[in-house]
Amino acid sequence: MIAYLLNLAQLAAIFGLLSVSLNILIGYGGIFSVAHAVFFGLGAYAGAHVALDLAPDILLAALAAALTAGVLSALLALPALRVRGEYFVIASLGLQMLATTVFTEASDITGGLGGLVGIPPPTVFGVSLADPLAFLLVCLGFLALALAVVRLLMRASFGRALMALRDSESAAEALGKNVPLLKTLAVLLGGAFAGVAGALFAFQEAFVNVESFTLDQSVLIMAMVIIGGAGTLAGPLLGTVLLLALPAALTFIPGLPPTDIGAVQQLIYGLAMTVLMIFRPAGLAGRLAGRR
Amino acid sequence: MLLLQLLVSGIETGALYALTAAGFALIFGATRIFHFAHGATYALAGYAFVLASRLGLAWPLGGLLALAVAVGFGLFLEAAVYRPIQRHHGAFFTVFVAAFGVVIVVQSLIELSFGRAFVAISTPLTRAHEILPGLYIAQVFWVALAIAIVIFALLGSFLARARAGIGLRALSENPDLLRAFGLSARRLSALAFALGSALAVPGAVLGAATTGLSPGVGAHVMLISLAASVVGGIGSLRGAALAGLLLGVVETLVVAFLDTQWSEAAGFVVLFVFILFRPSGLFGAAVAR
Amino acid sequence: MTRITRRTLLAASALPLGGGLLASRRARAEEAYILGTLFPMAGPNAEYGTIFTAGAAMAIKHVSADKMLSRPLALRAEDSEGTPQGGAVGMNKLVNVDHALYVLVGFTGVSKAAAPIGTRAKVVLVNGGGVGPDLAGLSPYYWNVIPLVPDEIKVLTPFLIARKLRRVALIYVNDPFGNGLYKALKTDLTAAGGEIVAADAISPTDQQFSAIAARIRTTAPDAVYFASYGAQQAQIIKQLRDAGISQPLLTYSGAAIPSVRNLPEAEGLTLTAQAADWTVDDPVTRRFVADWRAQYGSDPTPYHQNYYNAVRLFALLAQQLEKAGKPVNGDTLRAALLATRRFALVGGEGVFDDLGDISMKIVVNTLKGGKLVAVG
Repeated sequence: MIAYLLNLAQLAAIFGLLSVSLNILIGYGGIFSVAHAVFFGLGAYAGAHVALDLAPDILLAALAAALTAGVLSALLALPALRVRGEYFVIASLGLQMLATTVFTEASDITGGLGGLVGIPPPTVFGVSLADPLAFLLVCLGFLALALAVVRLLMRASFGRALMALRDSESAAEALGKNVPLLKTLAVLLGGAFAGVAGALFAFQEAFVNVESFTLDQSVLIMAMVIIGGAGTLAGPLLGTVLLLALPAALTFIPGLPPTDIGAVQQLIYGLAMTVLMIFRPAGLAGRLAGRR
Repeated sequence: MLLLQLLVSGIETGALYALTAAGFALIFGATRIFHFAHGATYALAGYAFVLASRLGLAWPLGGLLALAVAVGFGLFLEAAVYRPIQRHHGAFFTVFVAAFGVVIVVQSLIELSFGRAFVAISTPLTRAHEILPGLYIAQVFWVALAIAIVIFALLGSFLARARAGIGLRALSENPDLLRAFGLSARRLSALAFALGSALAVPGAVLGAATTGLSPGVGAHVMLISLAASVVGGIGSLRGAALAGLLLGVVETLVVAFLDTQWSEAAGFVVLFVFILFRPSGLFGAAVAR
Repeated sequence: MTRITRRTLLAASALPLGGGLLASRRARAEEAYILGTLFPMAGPNAEYGTIFTAGAAMAIKHVSADKMLSRPLALRAEDSEGTPQGGAVGMNKLVNVDHALYVLVGFTGVSKAAAPIGTRAKVVLVNGGGVGPDLAGLSPYYWNVIPLVPDEIKVLTPFLIARKLRRVALIYVNDPFGNGLYKALKTDLTAAGGEIVAADAISPTDQQFSAIAARIRTTAPDAVYFASYGAQQAQIIKQLRDAGISQPLLTYSGAAIPSVRNLPEAEGLTLTAQAADWTVDDPVTRRFVADWRAQYGSDPTPYHQNYYNAVRLFALLAQQLEKAGKPVNGDTLRAALLATRRFALVGGEGVFDDLGDISMKIVVNTLKGGKLVAVG
């Protein structure tokens, strides 16, 4: 049971990091991306390759993942950021679909559907993190770092400019803000943290393949942010814990055949998204209902 | 001959995409609601038809059932999900997330009642025969083509001539004109959903016979409809239909040159090219608002 | 072979599973031996999970009835979804949460993802369904009680040459199993004087095969080989036939499932599979076949046999270890397997090689009226 809870806690920390990173885009930047799993994946592949080919050092893997995912996210976002609203969502959907195909086909790098197997347990400065508790602490450390960065930045002029842009792009432009630069920086930061989450995920599962980086995963991350409350510090964490605890909670419902658990879980998750958007669109932790 | 053969299958696929995409474009054009659950309508209609044929109903009855389910579902969503959201604020992304939730709910309901495996309907219509040396065409090709042509002709004359049709076109651009005509925006919005959802039915029914259905089938159709409405020009019915046809053909023709796994991706490459170089699409009047 | 409905199989498999789960809470003191299963239980491949579980369940019943072991056997099921990702997640849970000693697995991609986790924890994995070539010697703790696809290809190739089916077009799933099969088929067929005239990779979720059919037709092959799983196989067969491909269709043992056998378009399909000879006259086989017929009113399939054998193998090894007063864990099980090598299993004596792989006879079959008929 302890091992199970530790495993769940590790996943919660990793997905918490992931939703905090998406919140920078959706919540603070008003950039509605449905392709976040792509950057999670890029980080996971980069981290896995560092671990398999160089050394399983978690800091090195996280750095490589952050660079790969951050830089690529900024490069990919540059052309797409020129368009607004619906177009950006559709472009990100298209990117997600293309990336899934590329991840599957580029099997020399990604292992295709077979994935990259046998990722060794992580170390930090040569000290093994094979103990689940130690690894959990490292994951929580990264999460805390991300939260601190977000809190700091959002109080600085960068964050204020970003949020001004979210609330009214033309007003921000009129105030002399460099809109494309602000947006690109937000995407870069979000992509880099998603990449770090990917590297942690690769170590946690000891295995990565394309199935973890599909549209469904992107939507799950988006749901964590939206259900918890976009644009708040605690919201994405709340959403993460709720959505991760859901499958575990369902296994305790008596009389539910194990083969149906997956479908029932999806049903509740979809229903929660719809009902929440109707009655509480700012999310559970959101204060400013009807702001947007 | 391979190219000709692929072109034929591409047109068959594309004709059905065109109808479904036109449904999405009709709804979006008239109501400005980003109806991401349009794919769920498609899936429900297809499974309703499969259910009818399992119950031994004749195919016209099955088709009617599919139509009733699609229209009913469209109207339900408009009234129960989209209208309440729009009443408060109407943010585009809020509507999108709510619709995505609906997609997930519908998919899991289908999984619970039909299982997650493929289901298909067996009919001699899908058996291909050699028309020319090396060119195989199944009757379902002519059926798909005929249905698409007839429906687009009917739809075109309805939108051009009927009072409600003109109202639909005016709904998004000029609500004042509606009042002058004595039409209710609310009723027109419901009409858009009914018509748009009905357009998903032919694709769903024929899809059940040709490729079979799976609970997630709506996702692919939805993405194609989305891509088609951007490529065609957001809100343009004619553009969406043409782009739907184009995407179907591209998706199939690409198999002549690349692995089949690229066929879905090929459609999105077309989408990117348009977003980057011609965001107004084939028939879009203006660049994004 | 008469049809086994999914419902009866599910009912049969759910009982011991449910019982196992309930028993586990109570019987912590009794310290059951925990066996895990990592099968697709939902999704387009759920059919396999149901079949695999039924075979294992009957073995557990027999082992308990015979009181072969001092402790009870408990089964824990994790859904692999038939995918590598599901395999890794499920295996982590079986190892870390359920503390399974011995895990039954199917599917190549699932096995390859789960094996490193098993190796790290020294938990034995036994495969009775996946046939990818790389499954041989995947890890010291990974054994096969099913002959792998290179063995099937070795039997198929001479058959193809004898029937003058030299030019073969291939459709294969782009995953570890499909890629391995492609390599094996290409090597053997080319060596025998045949050739692969087209090779199309598909994704396990593809549903549209008419374009592939058109492309294959232009190469005018003598036969079309497809390598996929579960419900997708039925889609491929139907759409190839719909598109006017009239050449013989070839495939491997994975097609020996009801959804393919009952498809009208699959009539005449050629597939290689383990020989299902239920007339073997030894007590283990006789009891298995008799009880199977009594419970399901039909003959078992090789998949049932393999997973029965996988559980029986555990019972035989653990019994031996108990007698010697040794603990039962991954290392001792492996040592006992390599020391003994020969076991009385269903289908006759099973012999394991150094890698922990069994060998079995393979035959070429044709599908006639939903039944497999051996043709060579």
